Amino acid sequence: MKNRLTRRSLLALSAAGAVLALSACGGNVGGGSASAEFPSGPITLTVGQAPGGSTDLIARAAADGMADSLGVALPVVNKPGANGALATEEVAAMAPDGQNLVLLNASLITITPLAVSEEEAVSLDDLDVLMGLSQDDYVMVASTKSGLKNFDDIKNSDKKLSFGTTGVGTGSQLAQELILAQADVEGTTVPFDSGSPALTAVMGDQVQVSTVQLGEAKPQIDAGTVTPIVVFSAERNEFLPDVPTAIEAGYEVPVSQYRAIAAPKGLSDDAKQKLVASIKDAVATDAYKSFNEKNMLTPNEISGEEVTTEWNELAAKYKELTDEYSISLAGK
Amino acid sequence: MDFFGPVLDGFGTVLDPTNLLYCLLGVVIGMLIGVLPGLGPAATIAILLPLTYGVEPVTAIIMLAGIFYGAQYGGTITSVLLRLPGEASSVVTVFDGYVMAKQGRAGTALGIAAIGSFIGGTIAIVGLTFLAPLVASFALDFGPPEYTALALLGILLVATISGGSKIKAIIAAAVGLFLATVGRDGFTGAERFTFGNLSLADGIDFVPIAMGLFGVGEILYNLEERHRAVSAPLKVANVWPAGKDIKQASGAIGRGSVLGFFLGILPGGGATISSLASYALEKKTAKDPSRFGKGAIEGVAGPETANNAAATSSFIPLLTLGIPANATMAIIFGALLIQGVTPGPQLISNDPELFWGVVNSMYIGNILLLIMSIPLIGVFVRILRIRAAILAPITALITLLGAYTIRNSMFDVMLVVMFGAVGYLMKKFGFEPGPLVLAFVLGSLLESNLRRSLLVLEGDPSGFLTRPISATLLVVFVFVAVWPMIKSAIDQHKNRSMAVQAVNEKENA
Repeated sequence: MKNRLTRRSLLALSAAGAVLALSACGGNVGGGSASAEFPSGPITLTVGQAPGGSTDLIARAAADGMADSLGVALPVVNKPGANGALATEEVAAMAPDGQNLVLLNASLITITPLAVSEEEAVSLDDLDVLMGLSQDDYVMVASTKSGLKNFDDIKNSDKKLSFGTTGVGTGSQLAQELILAQADVEGTTVPFDSGSPALTAVMGDQVQVSTVQLGEAKPQIDAGTVTPIVVFSAERNEFLPDVPTAIEAGYEVPVSQYRAIAAPKGLSDDAKQKLVASIKDAVATDAYKSFNEKNMLTPNEISGEEVTTEWNELAAKYKELTDEYSISLAGK
Repeated sequence: MDFFGPVLDGFGTVLDPTNLLYCLLGVVIGMLIGVLPGLGPAATIAILLPLTYGVEPVTAIIMLAGIFYGAQYGGTITSVLLRLPGEASSVVTVFDGYVMAKQGRAGTALGIAAIGSFIGGTIAIVGLTFLAPLVASFALDFGPPEYTALALLGILLVATISGGSKIKAIIAAAVGLFLATVGRDGFTGAERFTFGNLSLADGIDFVPIAMGLFGVGEILYNLEERHRAVSAPLKVANVWPAGKDIKQASGAIGRGSVLGFFLGILPGGGATISSLASYALEKKTAKDPSRFGKGAIEGVAGPETANNAAATSSFIPLLTLGIPANATMAIIFGALLIQGVTPGPQLISNDPELFWGVVNSMYIGNILLLIMSIPLIGVFVRILRIRAAILAPITALITLLGAYTIRNSMFDVMLVVMFGAVGYLMKKFGFEPGPLVLAFVLGSLLESNLRRSLLVLEGDPSGFLTRPISATLLVVFVFVAVWPMIKSAIDQHKNRSMAVQAVNEKENA
């Protein structure tokens, strides 16, 4: 009897503990009961990048539409650190109640592992990807002073060229290293802290070539202050229809940045359906569509399962290509 | 008239009541939020960005520019009153500003900072109006070797500006340089001093270090002091700088404006180096350099003028080249894109109304800031009359909250506490936090640009001397480093010849 009582109180205790833990992890008022109707309160969308960058702006644009669709507030919280690994790992460890989401950059899964040690790499195993959002392309640009007009000019240049990237373990670095290795071009790679200084350096001919994201380079391409060489997407980019892809130029370099929204693994079907529906509503709004257009983003609104398969395939592909051309992203 | 027509039309745009209201709103919001360290102009603008979606592009940018100015001045208020520099560019303001506040001259310090900011800002806008296209290319001529030389010069200046012992300043600066190496190496991806902690992968942010060493360190030190002697609440006299204060600071304001304007054009670190250079320049040119660090009004006026002039001229690369010079400009860039406006070489010709509207809103923003700050200074300085037992916990709260808001992380809050303890010990043993914090900021600039230069120059250091700008900066560096020695040699020579003369006169007599 006594034994049973103890067991029962233990059970009650652990149940209470679980509820407490859930609400604590959820970090939301009213996120107490696991069986409550979803959503039980504001949903937090965590972004692993600083406010104002393109990833942050995408998160805010999507969050606006999702909040309208779900009828709850959807604040965006920035937790920059380690290319987004910090935020992703934190959200992955939270309770899978759908109240906490994270905006994922594909590069964190597909490219960063090539530059950092194994224990720091983030995988998709702990996450339920809800839906893909968009594709952001990289473009290689040359300084006007260098006189380089296309990739053959770079290949046949008798001067030794410097190539700027937006940092170690980025798509910019991977794409550029791959095309240079495949074309057997000798050059010095110079990493900058982000896209803007890499682009500025090309404008001032401090380096002759840089690979940056299209949204950043487009105003300068339009103004004629830098010359576009190739884009690294599989198909030509609709915003730069006259610039050939690296693949057309004869090189196997399919590198783009993709973004998706994910939740901690183990989401209930109800929560998942509601969340996916809200993302679909958000991306269908005119405000979101014109946001994409203004930021040169190509919509890539595929299902979460497709995102997981594609990103894992890309990670394997990049690994294979870097091995084949013996490229190391982590310096020489 | 071709040139002035659009300029005057721009004024018409700004003086529209709606735009004026948004500008005022921006300045007030910015000032209030700028008081929170950590929540600097960049974060404030990012958070308030959605507010501007519904309004006209010109109005939106005018409001954002207002927030920017207000937030800058908010940082000055906390530096002077509470010893909390929210941004790297206001660190040197603390040196004399906080001492002035302790002497009961907080109103004078804040007043001269407001006047200096106004004048520096205005001179920079006039410069922007007439010289923008000419000086814009200056930003492009600055490659990695030039930044390396500039950072070297900056670190040398850090050593010359500290008031106390030179050896202790150099030790503190060395610690600052070391702290700058923490984090993932930007060239190889290798982890340095992170102990496997992901929160350290991007290195340590400026705010926890500055808040801890300056703010929390001071609070802890005062707690101990108060056990020894009961200090009376501070008397706050002369709320507004007197005529002789303004006269004394006028040279500093003039020099600060010019320094700030040119250094502010440089993307990355321009504002910080300009405030530092201005302080060093004032100390060098002063008749009595020993007053610095003990409440010299030029030590507040110069750097505050310079950092505001730099904040204004950092719009030049954004508006004329489409290059964001710092994090705040990057967000304004994003805001403009959302409004369907592309900043860049074509902005003046494609959208003159917007361009001149933005430029002229800066005049208005500056005037509003001056008008707003005059009555508010009286309110702000009253903070100092609050008993320390109440003020200290509030300051600590602001500090911790500020650290949390940088990236919503408790880790940063723990860092503030840790650096607070370090700051307390430093103060107790006579080390200044200033050299540490400034060396920390300049250290990463120096390291990454030196390595980048050596990549671009293919490992040949003679490249630093064949490029005109970096060569000039290195000559200045050598001069600043060697000058004290030459000067003391000359002085000695003079003294000796005078002594000889005196002896001769004695003998003759």
